[in-house]
Amino acid sequence: MSDWSKVTRPIPVPNEWTKPFWDAAKRGVLELQRCQSCGHFQHPPYATCVKCMGIDLKFEAVRGGGAIYAYTIMYHTGDKRFAAAVPYASIIVELDAAPGALLAGNLLDAPYTQAKVGRRVEVVFEPLNDDITLPQFRLLDAAPAGQT
Amino acid sequence: MWENRCKVAISGVGFSKVTRSAEIPLAAHALEAVKGAVADSGLAMSDIDGLATYPELPATGHAEIDGITIVSVNCMMAMLKLPNLTWHIQVGTTNIGGAVQQAVNALLAGVCKYAVVWRAMHNPKGTYQNLPGGQAAGAAQFTAPYGFGGPGQGMAVAYTRWLERNGQDRTKMATLALTQRRHTQHNPHAFFYGVPLTREDYLKSRMVAYPFCLYDCDIPVQGAVAVVLTTADRARDLKPTPAYLAGYGQRLYFEVAGRIGSLSSYMEGGSSSAKLTWERSGFTPKDVDVAQIYDGFSASVIYGLESYGFCREGEALDFIQDGRIELDGELPLNTFGGSLGTGRIHGLWHIIEGALQASGRAGTRQVKDANVSFVGASAPIVTGTTFIFVGEPY
Repeated sequence: MSDWSKVTRPIPVPNEWTKPFWDAAKRGVLELQRCQSCGHFQHPPYATCVKCMGIDLKFEAVRGGGAIYAYTIMYHTGDKRFAAAVPYASIIVELDAAPGALLAGNLLDAPYTQAKVGRRVEVVFEPLNDDITLPQFRLLDAAPAGQT
Repeated sequence: MWENRCKVAISGVGFSKVTRSAEIPLAAHALEAVKGAVADSGLAMSDIDGLATYPELPATGHAEIDGITIVSVNCMMAMLKLPNLTWHIQVGTTNIGGAVQQAVNALLAGVCKYAVVWRAMHNPKGTYQNLPGGQAAGAAQFTAPYGFGGPGQGMAVAYTRWLERNGQDRTKMATLALTQRRHTQHNPHAFFYGVPLTREDYLKSRMVAYPFCLYDCDIPVQGAVAVVLTTADRARDLKPTPAYLAGYGQRLYFEVAGRIGSLSSYMEGGSSSAKLTWERSGFTPKDVDVAQIYDGFSASVIYGLESYGFCREGEALDFIQDGRIELDGELPLNTFGGSLGTGRIHGLWHIIEGALQASGRAGTRQVKDANVSFVGASAPIVTGTTFIFVGEPY
């Protein structure tokens, strides 16, 4: 299992578009930008709705269940901030409630070998400091017996 | 079909020495390549009246210092002091293929007669992706905290999706790496010229960002390449056999910055660019005699082969097997070694090889009777451009 204890994650810097996302994460809630015209959820946040060009966008809570859309296992230690955790899984998750919105995360509490496209995950929250909490993911279903 | 097909040609080509890291300023590499291309055409430097490049430094976290880590149009103007210069441009929405296309447009518009396009690539000292600092701003705020660093990881995530959705096996990519490395042995300008690679080397090599092992990634180098473009009638009066441009395209698709892992961004980008190129040239993938497809990371070749229409989605790793991409195969591919063989110089070298193959100037790696020569000059995503060159104008 990847050891994240010695990793120094860069701290997200919220901006005018993204602040509600991080404010919600701090409360342990996943909120995504939603177009008030067509109902489309999108992530990362953007100036307009990428589906209908609507400009009335609000952040709304979504359920944190989804599936691994894609992933990579990082072995390279060039980024010294993350070198202590290699190999580790960086994953992309598509939420059930927001098809097309892709969230990055790490696969926590499981060996990196458990990362597979399509596996069910749920959001968990990892506080980085007093201001920023990271949405992260862990597997919903336990690993099959005998696998690590 | 495009009314301007075969009205512009690539004439001379030039190469600098390619070294692992910076031994001399990058400007000296660019100058060597440009001088080489002009001399190859049999022109004098004073004949050159158009300049274009894409000067981006893809290594993140390093300063852009003109002449040292990038070579801008201004830098080239200051070096060459061209007495007859009439036109220049730097592009941004495409990689170097866009600079070539702008030079084509300028030649067609009659605002210059002989344009030089170069691509100069720097390899910084230390870590290529220099990612220090405790903060992640902009699009990176959603990726960097999770250890998404360089572009390799961005492409690797889409590759796992491609592999697992299609029930494919990454070890099949060994064929691409080996075949291209064999092609490299016919290209004395390439970084890996004289360095063989075996299937065992590939299969045993260390992982970088799964599914990419070391030999799926082009090696960062310092070097430059350049071409002379001119109108077809002028090209016929020059020393080299012209490679006529039959058609080109650029990607017409963009997903919001920071959205990574999406396969559709590659497929839509590639198919939109290729569609323009097929329509303008009148050719189809079946007509292509030889192809260069950008391979900075090996998976780019998959997305290229599939989105350009050479094979169906999910089939590219099978398509490259059984000798199909050898010099005498059905679709000889990356015949100069690709970026995996030359080192990371981006897509101008692919364009150069496309032109050399079309004009019969590729030496010992020349594909027999090659006429229709296809180029995908960078990853289909974001910066993609495509070209077809022919030896016989029509």
